[in-house]
Amino acid sequence: MKFKCAELKEYQIVGKPLSKANEKTPIYKMRIFAPDEIVAKSRFWYFLRQLKKVRKVNGEILRMTLVSNKSPTKIKNFGIWVRYDSRSGSHNMYREYRDVSATGAVTQCYRDMAARHRARAHSIQIMKVEVVKAGECKRPIIKQMHDSSIKFPLPHRILKYNKKSIF
Amino acid sequence: MLYQRYIEIGRVCYIRLGEHAGKTCVVVDMVDQKHLLVDGPMSGVPRSTIRLNQVAITDLKIAIPRGCKTNKVRVELTKADISTKFAKTSLSKKAEAKKDKAGLGDFERFKLRVAKTT
Repeated sequence: MKFKCAELKEYQIVGKPLSKANEKTPIYKMRIFAPDEIVAKSRFWYFLRQLKKVRKVNGEILRMTLVSNKSPTKIKNFGIWVRYDSRSGSHNMYREYRDVSATGAVTQCYRDMAARHRARAHSIQIMKVEVVKAGECKRPIIKQMHDSSIKFPLPHRILKYNKKSIF
Repeated sequence: MLYQRYIEIGRVCYIRLGEHAGKTCVVVDMVDQKHLLVDGPMSGVPRSTIRLNQVAITDLKIAIPRGCKTNKVRVELTKADISTKFAKTSLSKKAEAKKDKAGLGDFERFKLRVAKTT
């Protein structure tokens, strides 16, 4: 069960099954979005167990690195391929988000899935996260921001922020 | 025009809330309907994303291309002399007055109270 209060972090985790004697074992690399290292390692084994015949008991993590954002001031369009469990079955989805970082986009995705499909974090699997070029985006909400001379007013603006405590 | 002030590329904004409250910045790009990429090289705001409700729009605007570099923003800001123009706006003056009022000592507050009642 994932508990997320801030933005997720992106980890690159490399692991492999333990090798007996001199046999060569394959090495697997995964891109995990998690709030901290412990959850990241846990999710790595969770996915690896589903995809390959490796368990945490029979495997080892070779390397875990925190991936930092290479361009934090450039806005990108992210296409996220998700698999999630609804109340009656498992479905694949392709979702698009606009953000400055992949971690921001994936965090948005989790929030969005919870809001729109009541999907909890444990039932969501992020399959692929990729930067999508503006021309190849599919969702109109994302495409509406691709206007080079974009402008909009703020009609009916209500500023509710009140810092004073009630008592 | 029905609306005077638009959120657009190059619009000078005043940051109401957050880490950089009280400073001005320029809209460089837009993430979505609720988030902007802003930059304030002259006022000490690093290039970062900000929420729309943290920001108040001003009348001032500079001509910059979408997503341009910080240096270009700095050049255009000095060319348009935004810092002096912003100091003349009522928003800036009200913010200054608020800051002065918050910095009053007890005696100053007493003097103010007396001056208001006479």
